[in-house]
Amino acid sequence: MENLIIENLHVKIKEGKEILQGVSLEIKQNEIHVLMGPNGSGKSTLSQVIMGNPKYKKTCGKILFSKKDISNLTPNKRAKLGLALSWQVPPAIKGIKLSDLVTKIGSKNVRMEEADKLLGREVNVNFSGGERKISEIYQIASLNPKLIIFDEIDSGLDINKIDRVAKIIKKEFVDLGVSILIITHSGTILNYLKPNMTSIMVNGKIVCQNREFKKIIRVIKKYGYEKCKECTACYKE
Amino acid sequence: MAMKNAKNVLPATKNNLNFLQIDHKIEKILGTAGVIVLPSLRAWEKFIWTRKLFNVKPKEGYFVWVQKQVDFPLYTCVAIASPKIQQDLSNLMVVEEGLKVKANVTCSAAKNHLYGVHKAKGRLILKAGASLDYNHLHRWGEKDLVSPDYEFILEKGASLKYEYKNLLPPENLNFKTSLFLKENASSELRIIINGINSQIKIEDSFYLEGKNASGTASLRLVGKKNSRIDAVSRIIARNEAKGYLDCQGILVDDKSKISLMPEIACENRKAQIIHEASIGKINEEQLLYLMMRGLPQKKAIDLIINGFLKA
Repeated sequence: MENLIIENLHVKIKEGKEILQGVSLEIKQNEIHVLMGPNGSGKSTLSQVIMGNPKYKKTCGKILFSKKDISNLTPNKRAKLGLALSWQVPPAIKGIKLSDLVTKIGSKNVRMEEADKLLGREVNVNFSGGERKISEIYQIASLNPKLIIFDEIDSGLDINKIDRVAKIIKKEFVDLGVSILIITHSGTILNYLKPNMTSIMVNGKIVCQNREFKKIIRVIKKYGYEKCKECTACYKE
Repeated sequence: MAMKNAKNVLPATKNNLNFLQIDHKIEKILGTAGVIVLPSLRAWEKFIWTRKLFNVKPKEGYFVWVQKQVDFPLYTCVAIASPKIQQDLSNLMVVEEGLKVKANVTCSAAKNHLYGVHKAKGRLILKAGASLDYNHLHRWGEKDLVSPDYEFILEKGASLKYEYKNLLPPENLNFKTSLFLKENASSELRIIINGINSQIKIEDSFYLEGKNASGTASLRLVGKKNSRIDAVSRIIARNEAKGYLDCQGILVDDKSKISLMPEIACENRKAQIIHEASIGKINEEQLLYLMMRGLPQKKAIDLIINGFLKA
């Protein structure tokens, strides 16, 4: 089973503040799982911790991918196992063309019309918000991953671009059975990618999980994220 | 034997080489219609006017005189292929008025531990309106001592694009270049050096002597494995001219040192010179990003450095 299991994960930053306070989460094979939460709740931190960012220190808990504990693996080894992260704000790398980077990292030839005009440009240098998202998706498609975390893939995009990005994600990943974790603040993209499971994170904890993402979005829109803790319609940890 | 050893340093375009010297022996010399190529000593003897340009009687090296427009690049290659060779080259290149020329110049060692010495003094004259795209590639062994000292004279309206690239540096590199620009002359100088366990001294100087002369110098320096790089990059405007200096360095390890000293001087109140200089470590966010794309740390660092040297 190529699933990701996070058990009672506690994470601190080096300065000592605990950001994740006992996160437990499972992303099953072929699942589209959504993680929502307010700004600063720990969603992006969780994505960085899953990928092995050394800035964060795990004090307790486990991260298992395909039954293997990956907690002590370097980011590149996690990537080689099939984990990939689409960054919310990826860094620019001057002097390296996107085509050259994909040649270095890729294990699969990918043809993506939207990426064609970006191939000859330096990675993320002066890319618009939409171009950065396409670049991320294109790079990740070339990695041929088993599980992808999309960190705020819909942020800063208009409705038409979200529609386009969602269609590419569906074609390149969902239809091929790749497991997906979508981190989103607004939830706009969920109308296009129908998730199997939605989790809510508040203050470094998963406070709610539900298969009905529309129900959760209705609660959030009406009461805000704090109300999720008390929402009787949803599973409460 | 030396020729056999040198095979791996010959450029892919070896059949088009205009000049090939291995150790002290000239293996090939090829002029063409409108381009005279001679050993420097022969030029000293044949063309009296070259004597003041060579300054002293040359021992070895090449003379290239471009008299007519050619539509192909010129290639020269000087290599060390035997142990403990000490080259002492004097090179002279003259490009006549209004001609546009591209030159690819390679100097290298065939093996890593030859303990060679490569001393090259060069002078390049671009006559009025001439244009030269000069690519200077160095590849050396870990124990070589190398000291190129080149002078470029750009007459009225001449333009030069000079890139010096050294990705495999010697143990000791003393790189010096001076550019003298007359009225309306322009030049872009780009120095790219990847210091690996090397002691490197760089001194590049622009002298903007004519009205509306313009010079741009970009230095991209990497310090790795106990390297020490000291660079002095200078622009002096003696007339109403413009200069721009951009020096950047990356330190890859704690044992390396880079010192960048930009020096700018205006001797004319209408001149304008700007400089930027920075030295830093590898960007950690870029490194993490590339590792999350599956590249091991060392490969990710190499890729970032390659990008830095190209940018």
